Amino acid sequence: MTSQAITIRGLTKAFGRNAVLRGVDLDLPAGRVTVLMGANGAGKSTLVKVLCGVHSADAGEVRLDGMPFAPAGPAAALRSGVVTVHQNINDGVVPDLDVASNLLLDALAEGGGLFLNRRRMRADARRIAAAVGLEIDVTRPVAGLSLADRQLVAIARAMAHRPRLLILDEPTSSLSLAEAQRLFALIDRLRAEGVAILYISHRMSDIRRLADRIVSMRDGQVSGLFEGPELDYSGAVRAMLGHEITEVDITIPPRGAVMLQARGLCLKPEARPFDLTLHKNEVVAITGLVGSGKSALASALFGLEAPISGEMRLDGMPFRPTNAGQAVAAGVFLAAKDRLINAVIPGFDIQQNLTLPFTARHSGPLSLIRRAAERAAAERAIAAMGVVCQGPRDGILTLSGGNQQKVVVGRWMAEASRLLILDEPFQGVDIQARRDIGRRIRASAAERATLVLCAEIDEALEVADRILVMSEHTIVGDHRNESIDLARLMAEVSGAADKTKEPA
Amino acid sequence: MKSLSPTDLAIRYGFLLLMAGLIVVFSVLKPAFLSPQSAVFILQSVAITGILALGVTATLVVDGFDLSIGAVATSAMMLSAYVMVIWEMGAVTAVVLCLAMGAAVGLVNGLLIVKMRVPDLLATLGMMFLLVGLQRIPTQGNSISTGMVLPDGRTAGGAFAPEFLMLGRHRIDFILPDLVPLSVVVLIVIAIVTWVFLELTRHGRVMYAIGSNAQAAALAGINVARYRVLAYVISGVMASIGGILLSARLGRGDVASGNNLLLDSVAAALIGFAVLGAAKPNAFGTAIGALFVGILLQGLTMLNAPYYTQDFIKGAVLVVALVFTFALSGRAGRGRA
Amino acid sequence: MISRRTFAALVTSVALVPTLTLAQDAPAPFDNPGEVNIALVRYLSTGDFFQAYLSGVEKQSAALGVNLQVFDSRQDAALQADMVDQAIALGVDGIIIQHGLTESMKEAAQRAVDAGIKVVAFDVNVENPAIPQIEQSDRDLARLALEAAIADNGTEWVAGYVYVPGIAPLDRRDETWKEVKAANPGINEVAMFGTLDNPIANSVANQARSVLSANPNIQVMFAPYDEFAKGVKIAVDEAGMSGQVSIYSADVSTADIQLMREPGSSWKATAATNPAVVGEVSVRALALLLAGENPGESVIVPPTLITQAMLNDLDIKNMEELGAKLPAFAHADVATAPWIALPPR
Repeated sequence: MTSQAITIRGLTKAFGRNAVLRGVDLDLPAGRVTVLMGANGAGKSTLVKVLCGVHSADAGEVRLDGMPFAPAGPAAALRSGVVTVHQNINDGVVPDLDVASNLLLDALAEGGGLFLNRRRMRADARRIAAAVGLEIDVTRPVAGLSLADRQLVAIARAMAHRPRLLILDEPTSSLSLAEAQRLFALIDRLRAEGVAILYISHRMSDIRRLADRIVSMRDGQVSGLFEGPELDYSGAVRAMLGHEITEVDITIPPRGAVMLQARGLCLKPEARPFDLTLHKNEVVAITGLVGSGKSALASALFGLEAPISGEMRLDGMPFRPTNAGQAVAAGVFLAAKDRLINAVIPGFDIQQNLTLPFTARHSGPLSLIRRAAERAAAERAIAAMGVVCQGPRDGILTLSGGNQQKVVVGRWMAEASRLLILDEPFQGVDIQARRDIGRRIRASAAERATLVLCAEIDEALEVADRILVMSEHTIVGDHRNESIDLARLMAEVSGAADKTKEPA
Repeated sequence: MKSLSPTDLAIRYGFLLLMAGLIVVFSVLKPAFLSPQSAVFILQSVAITGILALGVTATLVVDGFDLSIGAVATSAMMLSAYVMVIWEMGAVTAVVLCLAMGAAVGLVNGLLIVKMRVPDLLATLGMMFLLVGLQRIPTQGNSISTGMVLPDGRTAGGAFAPEFLMLGRHRIDFILPDLVPLSVVVLIVIAIVTWVFLELTRHGRVMYAIGSNAQAAALAGINVARYRVLAYVISGVMASIGGILLSARLGRGDVASGNNLLLDSVAAALIGFAVLGAAKPNAFGTAIGALFVGILLQGLTMLNAPYYTQDFIKGAVLVVALVFTFALSGRAGRGRA
Repeated sequence: MISRRTFAALVTSVALVPTLTLAQDAPAPFDNPGEVNIALVRYLSTGDFFQAYLSGVEKQSAALGVNLQVFDSRQDAALQADMVDQAIALGVDGIIIQHGLTESMKEAAQRAVDAGIKVVAFDVNVENPAIPQIEQSDRDLARLALEAAIADNGTEWVAGYVYVPGIAPLDRRDETWKEVKAANPGINEVAMFGTLDNPIANSVANQARSVLSANPNIQVMFAPYDEFAKGVKIAVDEAGMSGQVSIYSADVSTADIQLMREPGSSWKATAATNPAVVGEVSVRALALLLAGENPGESVIVPPTLITQAMLNDLDIKNMEELGAKLPAFAHADVATAPWIALPPR
């Protein structure tokens, strides 16, 4: 029987009032790859940051090889044998230094001796590089390396510490297939050497290739543990996404004329092309894991990134926007996800945030803004969306997250559109705001086609007439939102539909 | 309106109060300070930096920065002198060419930043050096004045056109005869136009959106690149207007780097952040900021304070203004959490 | 008295001009001037004065037929010292050090002397007896201008003074101002101001406007640097006080001549040394040194007083005409030798 490298009991962590980890219990055995799955905000990153010493836990206990483990910082965690390769590869390397300096960076940072012995450094570096199968000239600057080589440098650097636990946070997200294979081979070797590996990924192909065990996280807790000879991948996805039966009743209205028609749309060089038809008076949700291509589809429809191939028609006319302005002019609106990055103008008040895309419609001669018209439009939108605020001139940042989200979604519902795309419109909002926004989306849908992108299946079930599933940048499922076969939907989400037998 | 706490009041009106206090102090110490001539003169002394500062404000609004304005102003001064003194052309040609030069420099700055992705400080720094050198090449480093001997041995026959000099020297009857110089009128008109443009038109609104969150503005369908370039063109044109007024006041083309013009106008724009607690670049604040510096320097000079104490006090005012601004935004940050 | 002396100088200069250009057989190494290399190592270079100085150096070098190399450190003291070493390494025969800081140039100049190179210094004291100092006499400049002010206004007037301390030539001019004030208690200095913010004329104009509105009784403005005087003149014109205020200054340029000659101009007189002449003298002093002759420890280029009346009477419009019509200004009879050809005029 393998020993437990790490045992975690009752771990909690909150940022302000926002509880991110709510009692995590988890064991990570030596010589095993444990895959950690979880939607955005499930608490994966926070868990990793506690383990690698960036955050300290509020309560609970972590033991490393049976000894209490509470690192004072990343350096202390590293010395104890917990090494982490972060999602952002440049976190792990210093691009301006050469490979040798990077491999020995932690030793350099620890100090000892004023001058560098170049020859000895290079010899040490070559030994470390060889240990992970990295065959490059150690005098090259890291900035000149491919992403995969940089990542191997980051891992090799970590390996110099004889790790007990190696944490890899979405390591393959920017690697080619061949590069990923090289990484997997290295992980196999480390596993054989008895290192406990915590592997965070959404890529089902990686997970199938590597996982000895799968742990699903949801809302700051472990929601499922899957081990044994036959791993239940669909079960893991279900545990990660959850699908409590929703209280919202959807009455599917008769759908109108075709609004958007896409044929042979290909979003990524290796992806299978697909067709997409959206109708007036129809709310279509697209669900799928992170990186399944939902946002790439939104980018193509909104003119942010041209598709590889395929043609699109909007209301019967050819539609190929090359920038957001053209899309908006054609009546295709996108409420982007990650509101603080992509939507909120922090310096503006509610009114200015609401009217931002349509200032031209509220301005008269000399482009002077018609204040009264603007204010009236803002007040209409505030009332329609149910934004809780004192008035339209309040600063946007004085609002709660849910109300901010109502503003940036409401911005695109204030004017008539032909196709409204909402990317994660329920992101980071409480249940009440989610219901309000969903109701508003459905109530205003009559004269346009509506496309809602959401990773959480219950959100899709609450808002959509029809649910499409994306995986590997193509559409793999199409369900009318009436007595849906959830098991099948989950299998499609996890990319298992065409590989495993469909459950009866 | 809800009632404001004393701190809010201090942040909002503190700077205007400070300015009023200064006027009172200077008037008591030097009664001549409080006269229409003195008031007009303060405006005249800040006209050029004020116009430049309004241009800088346009770039600050889109979260950019233009280090080349001082050099654009002195280049415009040299160009206008060159056009009239050496090419012997008229005032209108000189003004049009200067404005075109300012717009062209702004366009190049904007394209370097938007298309070539050169960071704004570096692009405009490069442009600054380029212009400081370029303005000296045609005359081999000499100032341009009527009667100068050209490198080829000829004597320059042209002169500054009287209409051109009027821009810097003519005075309009207002309250008193011959009181308000045209440069002050130009400053006031440009300040009002800039304020209307930034605060009341949709273009200004969009530029503020870009400055606050450029990605969100782009996703709202705004052509961010075009507005960024526009901001630098505005800045370049304003700087060239400043240079025209400078040239008309001095009556010659003076070789100068314009670095002091740059620093003074940036200071005015930054002081403007603190006016009315705006905590962001704004035309009204910039105008007040320029005026504030002008009042201080006028008063101190009247009191025979040497130039280094004036620099010291200018710096102190800037620091106080920045404390006002960032104390305010710090409070907003805490309110958010 | 001054004008009489100036007139005398004028007459002698005119008389001398034709003979001066006749060069005799030159001593070594000037028997073969194409082999002589000299270097000009500059600290300050931007501005009309420095342009004119350079042109003087160039013209005199050309008249001698020697090769001139110009090093320009653009106000970088350390770089200027390096440039002296560079010139040593190039094996030049002589070096002119133009401005700079005593601290940074002293040792570099000594290294050049040790390398057997002849060195002269303009407007920088390198504290070396082997190195002649070329100076335009700032005290004489200030004295000439103030004598003109006293001649025009008597000894009782209210004065404004433009001064920025810490600038060596201005400090020397300031000493004379203090002496003149001490000697004439009727001179009442009510305001002192000044700045070097560029464009200097614009910044000084702003200050002078404040000073004039605070002190509307000022009669004389002493602005011993022409950029200051330009600024003061703009302010006086703007304040409509040209009839009341008289400006006396130092230095001159084509633009200054234009301003002084404007109808009713308040700029009454300026004392100036022709920077081109200073440049020529610098080269001639170096040439004397190279030929084994002694130009003296200190070579002073005498200034000339230029009044508004002179400019109008002789109808002088620019620096070239100033040189042509006021020969005292075109040539200084210092550091000359029969074998040294003067630049053509």
